[in-house]
Amino acid sequence: MAESIYRALRDGALEGELAPALTIKDSVASPFALQVFSHVISHLFSSILAGKSQSRGLVVVSFSRSPSFYLDLLKNKGTDVASSNKQIQILDCYSDPLGWKDQLAGSRNFTALSNEALVSSNAIVFREVKHMDKLYNSIIELGKGLVGGGKIRFSIAIDSADEMLRHAPVSSVARLLSNLRSHDQISSIFWLLHSDLHEARVTAVLEYLSSIVASLEPSHQLANGQRGDLENFSLIKHNSKKGKFHVRFKKRNGRVRVMSEEVHIEQSGINFTSLPSEGAINQGLVPKVQFSLQLSEKERIDKANVVLPFEHQGNGKPIQIYDGRRSLVDSKHERPVAAVENVQTNENCGSGEIIYYRDSDDEMPDSDEDPDDDLDI
Amino acid sequence: MAAAKTRTSTFSRNLSTAAPSHGPGLKCGPNGTVFLSSGIPDLDKILGGGFPLGSLVMVMEDAEAPHHMLLLRNFMAQGLVLGQHLLYSSPARDPRGFLGTLPSPAASKDDKSRERDPDQEKGLRIAWQYKKYFGENQLDGQRDGKHEYSNEFDLRKPLERHFINGPRIDCVSIQDCPDLSTLRDRCATFLSQFPRNDGSISCAGRIAIQSFCAPQCAYSNMEWDMLSFIRSLKSMVRSSNSVAIITFPPSLLSPSFCKRWQHMADTLLSVKAIQDEDKELAQLLTGYQDMVGFLNVHKVARINTQVPVILEATTFSIKLQKRRYLVLECLNQAPVDGSSGTSYGTSGGCSSSSKTGNLDF
Repeated sequence: MAESIYRALRDGALEGELAPALTIKDSVASPFALQVFSHVISHLFSSILAGKSQSRGLVVVSFSRSPSFYLDLLKNKGTDVASSNKQIQILDCYSDPLGWKDQLAGSRNFTALSNEALVSSNAIVFREVKHMDKLYNSIIELGKGLVGGGKIRFSIAIDSADEMLRHAPVSSVARLLSNLRSHDQISSIFWLLHSDLHEARVTAVLEYLSSIVASLEPSHQLANGQRGDLENFSLIKHNSKKGKFHVRFKKRNGRVRVMSEEVHIEQSGINFTSLPSEGAINQGLVPKVQFSLQLSEKERIDKANVVLPFEHQGNGKPIQIYDGRRSLVDSKHERPVAAVENVQTNENCGSGEIIYYRDSDDEMPDSDEDPDDDLDI
Repeated sequence: MAAAKTRTSTFSRNLSTAAPSHGPGLKCGPNGTVFLSSGIPDLDKILGGGFPLGSLVMVMEDAEAPHHMLLLRNFMAQGLVLGQHLLYSSPARDPRGFLGTLPSPAASKDDKSRERDPDQEKGLRIAWQYKKYFGENQLDGQRDGKHEYSNEFDLRKPLERHFINGPRIDCVSIQDCPDLSTLRDRCATFLSQFPRNDGSISCAGRIAIQSFCAPQCAYSNMEWDMLSFIRSLKSMVRSSNSVAIITFPPSLLSPSFCKRWQHMADTLLSVKAIQDEDKELAQLLTGYQDMVGFLNVHKVARINTQVPVILEATTFSIKLQKRRYLVLECLNQAPVDGSSGTSYGTSGGCSSSSKTGNLDF
């Protein structure tokens, strides 16, 4: 299922449509968005390198981590970053987002920029994060620098949307994202979001703007959010290693595809496995029934074994018509076969029973008749 | 007693047979209202004729599906085809781009399969939930006159360029406006072309505002301003011969404002997405495979009358027949499998348990 996300990002945008946009959302209870984000980046980048995706370059807009984090990440995954200058560029909004170092450096000789020179071939420092328009222009410029002009597309990864929202109002961020999506050189775009840091409306806005919403939830909900209890402690331990990964795809035809998987966090990265037997639950229209409509396997066997009240069994024993007055003891010794009976036992497995009490004893014992026969229509 | 010119009873003469002195695309309705078509014949039927002139229609979008665009496309295309004026506003940079996706009227009634599969009905005794099929047959005779009022649109065929390039269309982009005064002025100038007076109506206007509180608009957090805009638009529309349709995503508004906006509407609709490959829904509803979404009718405009409209059904499924024609259908529950022994309470007792008494059938 994570495969479907990769495929959607790889396939990218169609002509005249908005580019697919993915929101990776988590919360304190299940804080694995960064791992998922890194996973998606490395997957996308390797397909870009292999030429399997629509986009030919990746621009990473990095607010919360230094560019070297990404370069190291990709190196660890085996991709050769040093020679792939033409495929990845990082817009460094981490080192000096508000331009303070510049201002400081202006008043004395600057020495602080030396370590940035190491990554400068892949990263460009951006100093005006409060201005979303300038950010937009820089991103597009960087992307065009990677893939050239014309029709070739590139992808964008934003780490993270929370930082953007710190610096600029929601409407500017929304405008940036929707303009990026409608730019015809963007193939796909994805971003990270920690939903606890924002009001519900902000999360709703980002979900509105995206075409795929991937959310991470804890496998076990903690009771009352308390973290002190002993019994919750084991749940917390559980939740620190795995969680549930729910994805909602907005498809072109207007339907929503919902998928769920389990995600395990390990040293080497993360693993997605399918959820243990959980069906999709649609709360919307399905009427709430108190019956359980599904049968388990054992129940199905039992059901098949129960002899129904109106079955005629004629397997050697005489077919008797029970008149409802015999004692229970007698009826247990023979296979009760008649159309009318009081209690029926099943000798095979002794578990299924159909208990049928006749409405009244006035009726004739032989009730093979169709009760509708005496209706006068 | 004075001559009974003013009737206070609920019976009203069916005026649709009277010679309409109005322009094309307008139909007289009860209580002195004049309707214009929504572009979707099924929706016109559900609403009792169409959208009344002077009303404000609001559509609540679902953030997960673009069905409101289907409604808007049909609405706008219908207006253009009949020569009505149109003002379209959207949060996109270039609203004109959307005009290229407007559908063209369907070719002819013959190749379209509005008629159901004839094999289905041969030799079958029709149970109650198929009564919708009876209704369809009765409409055949009225189709010819309807072209002047409403059309069936083929969503795969784009509207001809000359309709889109005409002088009757105006587009506004609301993304960069810091406040709503520009939009309000444009609406006011547009609506001044169709003042309402007692004479016959020469032409009507349509306003379509898409995704009104979209987050990329600068004014989108000014909730009171947006509300007062809607109020002034409603009053301007009421005194003119036009219909305005506003779509908005309710999840992006605070709950109290969402309620206020819903109250502002004369006709309130909402669209909802359908989950794909939902086995439970597939078992519950027939035709699930073809459905793309749901349409709910929350409120129907009643102008000049106190009598409310009570609809038989308020939830409809949106289907694209042959992926071209937008069709709204009542939801039908799938026939319950008798052997399972249980039945959903609402379906009639004819298909369920065998233990019914003599009087239940």
